[in-house]
Amino acid sequence: MSDNTIKKVCVIGAGTMGAGIAAQVANAGVPVLLLDIVPKEGANRNAVAEGAVAKMLKTEPAPFMSKSAAKLVETGNIEDHLDKIAECDWVIEAVIERLDIKQGLYAKLEAVKRDGTAVSSNTSTIPLANLVEGRSDAFKRDFLITHFFNPPRYMRLLEIVTGPATDAAVAGKVEQFADISLGKTVVKAKDTPGFIANRIGTYWIQLGLNAAFDMGITVELADAIAGKPMGVPKTGIFGLVDLVGIDLMPHLQASLTSTLPAGDLYHGIARDIPLINKMIGDGYTGRKGKGGFYRLNKEAGRRKETIDLQTGEYRPTVTAQGPRGAAAKGDLKALVESKGDIGAYAWAVLGDTLAYAASLVPSAADDVVAVDDAMKLGYNWKAGPFEMIDKLGAKYLAERLAAEGKAVPEILTVAGDRTFYRIENGKRQFLGLDGEYRDIVRPEGVMRLADVKLSSKPILKNASAALWDIGDGVVCLEFTGKMNALDGEVMKLIGQAIPLVAAQYKALVVYNDADTFSAGANLGLALFAVNIAAWGEIEKLVAGGQLAYKGLKYAPFPVVGAPAGMALGGGCEILLHCDAIQAYAELYCGLVECGVGLVPGWGGNGEMIDRWRKAPGMPKGPMPAVAKVFEMVSTAQVSKSAQQAREMMILRGDDGISMNRDRLLYDAKQKALSLVEGYTPPEAPEFKLPGAGGRTALGLAVEGFHKRGMATDYDVVVSGVLADVLTGGDEFDLVDTVSEGELLKLERDAFMGRLRDGRSVARVEHMLETGKPLRN
Amino acid sequence: MQSVVIAGYARSPFHLANKGALARVRPDDLAAQVIRGLITKTGVEAADIEDVVVGCAFPEGEQGFNIARLVGLLADLPISVGGMTVNRFCGSSMSSIHYAMGQIAIGAGEVFVCAGVESMSRVPMMGFNPLPNPALAAKSAAYMSMGETAENVATKYQISRADQEALAVSSQQKAAAARDAGKLTDEIVPIQTKTGLVSEDGTIRGETTAEGLAGLKPAFDASGSVTAGTSSPLTDGASAVLVTTEDYARAHGLPILARIKSVAISGCAPETMGLGPILSSQKALERAGISAGDLDVVELNEAFASQALACIKDLGLDTAKVNIDGGAIAIGHPLGATGARIVGKAASLLKREGGKYALASQCIGGGQGIATILESVE
Repeated sequence: MSDNTIKKVCVIGAGTMGAGIAAQVANAGVPVLLLDIVPKEGANRNAVAEGAVAKMLKTEPAPFMSKSAAKLVETGNIEDHLDKIAECDWVIEAVIERLDIKQGLYAKLEAVKRDGTAVSSNTSTIPLANLVEGRSDAFKRDFLITHFFNPPRYMRLLEIVTGPATDAAVAGKVEQFADISLGKTVVKAKDTPGFIANRIGTYWIQLGLNAAFDMGITVELADAIAGKPMGVPKTGIFGLVDLVGIDLMPHLQASLTSTLPAGDLYHGIARDIPLINKMIGDGYTGRKGKGGFYRLNKEAGRRKETIDLQTGEYRPTVTAQGPRGAAAKGDLKALVESKGDIGAYAWAVLGDTLAYAASLVPSAADDVVAVDDAMKLGYNWKAGPFEMIDKLGAKYLAERLAAEGKAVPEILTVAGDRTFYRIENGKRQFLGLDGEYRDIVRPEGVMRLADVKLSSKPILKNASAALWDIGDGVVCLEFTGKMNALDGEVMKLIGQAIPLVAAQYKALVVYNDADTFSAGANLGLALFAVNIAAWGEIEKLVAGGQLAYKGLKYAPFPVVGAPAGMALGGGCEILLHCDAIQAYAELYCGLVECGVGLVPGWGGNGEMIDRWRKAPGMPKGPMPAVAKVFEMVSTAQVSKSAQQAREMMILRGDDGISMNRDRLLYDAKQKALSLVEGYTPPEAPEFKLPGAGGRTALGLAVEGFHKRGMATDYDVVVSGVLADVLTGGDEFDLVDTVSEGELLKLERDAFMGRLRDGRSVARVEHMLETGKPLRN
Repeated sequence: MQSVVIAGYARSPFHLANKGALARVRPDDLAAQVIRGLITKTGVEAADIEDVVVGCAFPEGEQGFNIARLVGLLADLPISVGGMTVNRFCGSSMSSIHYAMGQIAIGAGEVFVCAGVESMSRVPMMGFNPLPNPALAAKSAAYMSMGETAENVATKYQISRADQEALAVSSQQKAAAARDAGKLTDEIVPIQTKTGLVSEDGTIRGETTAEGLAGLKPAFDASGSVTAGTSSPLTDGASAVLVTTEDYARAHGLPILARIKSVAISGCAPETMGLGPILSSQKALERAGISAGDLDVVELNEAFASQALACIKDLGLDTAKVNIDGGAIAIGHPLGATGARIVGKAASLLKREGGKYALASQCIGGGQGIATILESVE
């Protein structure tokens, strides 16, 4: 093959999965053809696929990262448009789970596809060998299974299964695209039923249901045990089943019981639970239906209720007395050894799940890493089964299983009293079935700060931040506080880092491995200072932040911001001061200060005005950029993707987006290095602000929002203060030139003024207590 | 005084701003096509045109640079023809007609193209750089949003939401009926766009029901009665009339629609600007020496249902004669273009319906009214 890149994709089947996969392809900026059947009724032959796209534009959480991505989806039907597959480099089949229908479709595909165009099935249950029955050798070379998880934009796992005839180059092409463009972590699975994640996940769920019924414990207690204490999402097992749909369970069960080999442990636990059958029959299929194990009783004032597993009747939900102490905080041994129901249930679920997972290497997965990745990324477990076994002790698990007369998986015996993972020479290693440890090899371009930390010590470190050498002359500034909140320590470390980097390194990247880049300034600390009226200290902190951020901006070396997840308030402002941003596609970024009654105080106002006034197509004059910034900041707008952050001008033209979270640091480092040669710091901007007239215009607009009930009384006050800053305050007139320093002083004064207002303090307190804005 | 007549009327189709079929058409191109259409339709000798007078409420951006002159050049008018932009907000293009009449009266020309244009898609209301005077904002309602003034009128005149909605439904139904009967076809100049020819209005919603409107949220005041359904929509459009002497029209065989009998301007409180037509119409009626009862046709701009109802009440208008083919709630209100549209429309209706007198009147943001009385020509 001369060209091994995927430039156009076709997805056949516009159900939730197919449409969601198509959306993610479009999110990557790649054109995608979405086909489905011709509906039996109606004149529009593309109605099914078109309807799927229209529905996705209204779905939350959104499958599309921006409205513009939706334009990359071309819709059609499999009767009229199958020949367009000749233009595509990868065809993903996501039609109904019926072998005859899939086989029929492949026969048609074979007639129109180019050789070398990959064809993959999103099947979760049908073996690859059955899917390609009757197809040519050429088709078999191009065929594989790509099993996505729902929702495809947000779930990072992709299980790939290849057959004996699959061409490695074809699989490699798909794998590379899935990794770099779709942002998925590819886990290679064997051609066995349920692959890895669903096989273990279904087993775990069934165990959890069985044990709760058998032991007669409540749904709440079960979920309080098999939730956070086990390092799985807090929905627990019953909550998870409600979420995915109770009616899905019999299908999964039927599929696995019919395909798993006779000796598989699953056959021993699969059972019909009468209450579940009754619930499905009555329409209690979970959150999508009338309710599930939990429901909101609307007739009783939206009261939260739980089903009694013994009587089948709903009753008010109660808070269960779950695990305490170490058992609640990730100590799995303490958990399974807890007294009474807690320990018994935890062991019943965890012991057998871990044993089952351990039995699947190498039959379903090549190694323990694949199993752990699958469960972490496919089921959002904090730790994979083998990482959990390491916490519990492989020996402990083996002995307890043996004591109960259960089979001990071979790999547990191989491990003996060793762990499945260890750090050796700064590298993370895993244990193979042969009893040897091997380095975990990351694909090129995958880089985590955690790996760097294994082999080095920080250059600088304090309570809230650290500076790491990530090689090639690049350093990484890491925030380390709770929610990566920003405080004086962070600013102090930045101040120390700048001369150090200037003297000894080439560039700096602002990055951390956490799910939240930064939740912004440490409000708890600010509130404490307010309560003791330490105004001088607070002002010093504000000024210190401005100084630190401007220091980064004008440092004699390039600085690249590399955010993932939330980057709010001060966390957004540090990005605005970077020479470039390389963002993870899932970026939730904005200047949200007004939500807590404050205004941006670390240079965000000037940086945003500067970005907007340079935006292509902006009308001339003092108001357009200011009005845009005012609209964004006064409403505390937050992007729902990096693409949206680009539309908000937080990202600029040359800034990059990494689709794969694990590639973000590497990409950011490359971007920083690309800026090194001939680097000159930016020149300080000067502003022409609109003055009192502009302030009046913004005030009139806010008054309108207030009248319409869209702005509260105090919103009017806060946005008035914001308008003051953005228009130049009392000091500056339309004809004046305002320096960056003068604008910083305006925002500093405005920030301090708000913090002295009890209504802002009430907002801050409320946010700290509830995590939600107070609408006073 | 010489008899001055409306000798031709044309407009573009009207479309919703931002989402309509004209959103991607520059306002200067839009106006030029309408003026070209008017000249073709009337057969007027272009070289005889003294001036092109274009009303525009926000003459900046693509509507800037003295758009009237540019439109003349775009429409390939002879180089000798002048161009002047007029701004009196919503009254702009009616003012351009009044100006032309005055110019004729002082012997400063005989043939005028009086046009109006507004692309509310491409130039936002308030313009790109709104910089109101803080001192004036503090002491008057000069900058108050139009929606709020409509609420004020509704409160002052105790006009119920249901009454406003009844007027809106009626306006939509009349406009849809007129369109379906082909009664709007003659006045519309199809507009060439990048994606094809646009020849019908995109604003009219004939299927509007009182129940549907009752479900809308108040648009300007959470506790108010004015909704998007009882307000004229943000609209893109252009209009033009040919204003000349009766003698010239007759000599050149131009289609005379009506004679301009009298005109008037008046000021009113900015916070109830919707009442502007009352005083201006009264003044114009008095100058024409007639009373409201003598009117056979009334084109009263429906900026909002509340202000239209208040004006109908105070002027004592016969609702059967008001906005026969629907008003701005249905047709749309491209600010600068509305004045020429309703004068042209009133003149056409006078001819079509066979009456004697017509009134065209509208309210103007900031607190003004403008009115024109037309008289049929035998």
